[in-house]
Amino acid sequence: MIQIQNLIKAYNKEIVLNIPELTIEKGEIFGLVGNNGAGKTTMFNIVLDLITASKGQVISKGINVRESEDWKDFTGAFIDETFLIGYLTAEEYFGFIAGLRRLSKTDTSTFLEGFSDFFNGEIIGKKKFIRDFSKGNQKKVGIVAALMGKPEVVVLDEPFANLDPSSQYKLRKLIKDFAAQNGSTFLISDHTLENIADVSTRLIILEKGKIVRDVPKTATTLQEVEAFFKPVVEADIY
Amino acid sequence: MNQNLFSLAWREAVRSAYWGKSLATTIGLGFLSIYFSVSFLVLGFAIPELLIKNFPNIDPISKFNSIILAYFAIDLIIRQLMQKLPTVSFKPLLLQNIRRRKIANYLLTRSVFNFFNVLPFFLVLPITFTLVASTHSGLATLSWFLAIGILIFCNHFLAIYLKWRFNEAEYGFFIFLAGLACLFAINHFGIIDLSGGLGKLLDLVLVYPALVLLIAVLPLLFYYLNVQFLLSRMFLNLVSEKQKAETVRDYTWLNRMGETGRFIALELRLIWRNKRPRSLAMMTVLMFGYGLLIYRGEPGKELPEFVFILGGVLLVGMFSISYGQFFPAWHSNYFSMLMCQRLKMKQFLKSFYMLVTVVSVACYFITLPYALMHTKVIYTHLAMLLYNLGVNIPIIFFIGLYSKKRLDLNQSSVMNYQGVGASQWLAGLPMMLGPICLFYLFKLAFGTVGGYIGLGAMGLTGILFHSVIIDYFSRQYLKKKHELIKNYKNS
Repeated sequence: MIQIQNLIKAYNKEIVLNIPELTIEKGEIFGLVGNNGAGKTTMFNIVLDLITASKGQVISKGINVRESEDWKDFTGAFIDETFLIGYLTAEEYFGFIAGLRRLSKTDTSTFLEGFSDFFNGEIIGKKKFIRDFSKGNQKKVGIVAALMGKPEVVVLDEPFANLDPSSQYKLRKLIKDFAAQNGSTFLISDHTLENIADVSTRLIILEKGKIVRDVPKTATTLQEVEAFFKPVVEADIY
Repeated sequence: MNQNLFSLAWREAVRSAYWGKSLATTIGLGFLSIYFSVSFLVLGFAIPELLIKNFPNIDPISKFNSIILAYFAIDLIIRQLMQKLPTVSFKPLLLQNIRRRKIANYLLTRSVFNFFNVLPFFLVLPITFTLVASTHSGLATLSWFLAIGILIFCNHFLAIYLKWRFNEAEYGFFIFLAGLACLFAINHFGIIDLSGGLGKLLDLVLVYPALVLLIAVLPLLFYYLNVQFLLSRMFLNLVSEKQKAETVRDYTWLNRMGETGRFIALELRLIWRNKRPRSLAMMTVLMFGYGLLIYRGEPGKELPEFVFILGGVLLVGMFSISYGQFFPAWHSNYFSMLMCQRLKMKQFLKSFYMLVTVVSVACYFITLPYALMHTKVIYTHLAMLLYNLGVNIPIIFFIGLYSKKRLDLNQSSVMNYQGVGASQWLAGLPMMLGPICLFYLFKLAFGTVGGYIGLGAMGLTGILFHSVIIDYFSRQYLKKKHELIKNYKNS
């Protein structure tokens, strides 16, 4: 579905991302973990053509994202709150995005009904602009908007951050169900290893811009990833 | 401590991506300030003679004293429109070991270093030396000078206090204007002689210098009001205070116009729901009345042509210039989201074009009654309408390509004073002066009517080719999108 080839991003000769070869298959829930500055958001931004790579290319469903805009037809994304329009209500925002994705009004409302549990009654029907929502609710709006129109590729940067514990569990299920129903490919990053290990079918660890682990999910994935990030000094204490 | 705060302000200015652009603004403002300083200086030397010539029977100093109130009133209005409010992002400071009062005092101290407080001295100093010092003792002269200086700072603190208030409630500005008009009427029709009252007070200062101390109470009072206001606003809960239900207007009827309509609906919501574009839109409405001022003229005398051009620009094109100067930065907060959507850049530009066209045409018809004052307004405004749509909008698109500064719409109006100073007017200058220069060029070649036809023809050409122009700029914007995203992120 997505091929990354010889991708290098450098700022002032300092390489922040260097991925020689990476292929993400259709239907994969691709999880990305890494410490701050590992290059996760940079990679997503390049996939969405929001920043330019210094070298190399990203091919999404056969389309080079730098050369054509057609990838936008099948891609949904939520990177951060700058993806929201603060002065709209949640419904208006969904309506705006639905219009861009050519969803009819009835389609939109049936689609949104499917998320009523996730929204927990705090989003729809509120006479409140998105800028006045809490961080968690803003995130929910952004995630659901990214899923509108059943895109084949969904990019979510730290979707679990700022969500309350029960919403985190709901989101895990939501992503898995959505991928199973629509065959969508997900690109997700997060800092909570438990969430990302649960949700993804393939896990990648980025460190200083390089892929250092690439594992399909098994029963031991979580332990493996945890072991990677745990400081080594701990062993010395005992 | 204060030094720390000052160095913070310095770094904030220098490190923003806006710096390069604001340098040009600074130079522009610099020229303007030199111009005004020189004008005031010349005026300061000329006023004593003028007073003696025009009012030979009255003591020139007391005549000057009696009209000075008018200056302060005008000064107050100009300050409302032009003076910048001192700002600091106080959120990170609140948790530090700094007293709130210190932050407030810092802000007010910084605000004193303002051109509007320097300018009047260019006028007052020559008058003090040529007029007052020659007839009065040193002490009397000094106290008179001090009294004027104190009144200037009094006006300063009153102006920023009012400006802070108006920032929270825009209608306040209109109440303020109405109040000034009332005071003017009271004074003008001699109900209470306000202006003469201040004049008498200043006359008394010359006799009893100690009265200065009495006048000094006024700025202290306004300073205190400012401090109280700032102290009451320095809480985070006020930043997110607006929890009341919003009135949500329905714009779905615009969706029937398809993609473009959807974007126009977005622009309308943007204007209506955010303070800054809203006040720009209000300014457009205010401008309708401006015609009464500039088209008045003296009976029997022809107005110079540039008045009509300027009138056309301000009355018909005010909205497109003031709103357009920040295109596409209005959408800067969510620009990267738009760039991920299945939207064609073309529609984005086109919807702006449509909105501005509709508003400008509406402005043309609303201001048409000025034809009762000057019949030629019918065609001068038409020429400017065409010019505005055909030439100014492409210029706006072009300037937009280099927009750097993110506009923070998401912040609520409390303590958000982005772009309330003089510099926001500067961007519009070329769009106002351009047609005037062009007109006189055309006039040289084809005569007066030919000048208007020339402007109109230029505009018409632009309108006829608008789809080509929009296509061209959508390609340019696509090429520039990464840079725009980067700039918006860094500012």
